[in-house]
Amino acid sequence: MAVSTIYSTQALNSTHFLTSSSSSKQVFLYRRQPQTNRRFNTLITCSQETIVIGLAADSGCGKSTFMRRLTSVFGGAAKPPKGGNPDSNTLISDTTTVICLDDYHSLDRYGRKEQKVTALDPRANDFDLMYEQVKALKNGIAVEKPIYNHVTGLLDAPELIQPPKILVIEGLHPMFDERVRDLLDFSIYLDISNEVKFAWKIQRDMAERGHSLESIKASIEARKPDFDAFIDPQKQYADAVIEVLPTQLIPDDNEGKVLRVRLIMKEGVKYFSPVYLFDEGSTISWIPCGRKLTCSYPGIKFNYEPDSYFDHEVSVLEMDGQFDRLDELIYVESHLSNLSTKFYGEVTQQMLKHADFPGSNNGTGLFQTIVGLKIRDLYEQLIANKATARAEAAKA
Amino acid sequence: MTTIAAAGLSVATPRVVVLPTARVSAPVRLNYPWRFGSMNRMVVVNATSEGGISDKVEKSIQEAKETCADDPVSGECVAAWDEVEELSAAASHARDKKKAGVSDPLEEYCNDNPETDECRTYDN
Repeated sequence: MAVSTIYSTQALNSTHFLTSSSSSKQVFLYRRQPQTNRRFNTLITCSQETIVIGLAADSGCGKSTFMRRLTSVFGGAAKPPKGGNPDSNTLISDTTTVICLDDYHSLDRYGRKEQKVTALDPRANDFDLMYEQVKALKNGIAVEKPIYNHVTGLLDAPELIQPPKILVIEGLHPMFDERVRDLLDFSIYLDISNEVKFAWKIQRDMAERGHSLESIKASIEARKPDFDAFIDPQKQYADAVIEVLPTQLIPDDNEGKVLRVRLIMKEGVKYFSPVYLFDEGSTISWIPCGRKLTCSYPGIKFNYEPDSYFDHEVSVLEMDGQFDRLDELIYVESHLSNLSTKFYGEVTQQMLKHADFPGSNNGTGLFQTIVGLKIRDLYEQLIANKATARAEAAKA
Repeated sequence: MTTIAAAGLSVATPRVVVLPTARVSAPVRLNYPWRFGSMNRMVVVNATSEGGISDKVEKSIQEAKETCADDPVSGECVAAWDEVEELSAAASHARDKKKAGVSDPLEEYCNDNPETDECRTYDN
């Protein structure tokens, strides 16, 4: 929580005046002495540093599994703001606030129907407001953020958002606007392949009366052009991409239950050290099942290699298959390196904590948890760095 | 002739004095409401939001099919299917929230106020 004091100038004597430097939230008090020219400088610093994480995901807003895993890694369960709009998309925990970018729609559902645009189209979103508010929150200023009500499809009255330690902006366009992209300390893109997307949407929508296989297919097909034009290109800007593909272990599988998940990690990102298997920069294929570990069909297969992704150097860690038992998970964890865990078995513990979440038995849950730990590590490094920088500036 | 119905007496009086009584416009509240019938009070039905969203999804699919019947690649068609997708997502979220919803009022209270006496747990 922010430990900053003295913001109101009224309490101060008229001979005092304040200046504040915009970048580092330091407030200097000058007291003019009538007799001498000595200046008394009192340094009041705000110990709140906000880091901003961007997550690009389709049809998910704060309630998605990834968010719940992420907020769980930082501690505390994230809940909608108490006493506010019940249809609010925001999630708040002790350390984290998750903002849904749908709140920055400039056109509500009826406006979009009128203008014949989808929500994926940048014309339906107010990027100026998004940039201003994310910038304000990053600098420790509370904002009144609009609410987009998904139930009614209208824009509701704004809610007050306090600057948190970790701000996550989740939605369709976190990396679309260049100014917002520059504010992000870390960005993630969740890339679901078409077959898996189709299988997941069938699972989700078949329970709804009115939906049929054709309507689900038509819905995906209709959105595809806009998706490919506006959302997909954000992949190249992401620091980490989680790609979900159909499995290669089962020939002709179309159920989408067993998944092949690839974690593509950009090299050279500040405070982010990619996870690796055996040794960094090498290529290795590993099947953990064998004598020490017995797995049931179809088993587990890991792959690690350096690669090039949109002209960037990346490291790719891939997992195909699913976990059946606890000991498989801990065995795999003990062989992965650079996980940024605080103790042995932390990944397994986090996965078990949310064993009921979808993806807990395959690469999606594993890599989402690992990314959560990486973000925690990034946050701690950034804080430590800023603290030392401030200490040095004060000394100088 | 006036009959006092409630008491079941029939008192025949030659003269009836009708006192002006204030007409009560509000519903008459009885101490024993079950005694004089009319148990069929109006019950307020809260339309569950889930039912509402499901209806919306169904309607939007109908609309989308109609719009796309004319021209499958027009902006209207795409926007209509996008609306279907948005409503389906909202419906599935509502379903998940309902499933995960805390049915026990005590648990719900304790989630919000863990420090109160009722919610203290002694683990060791």
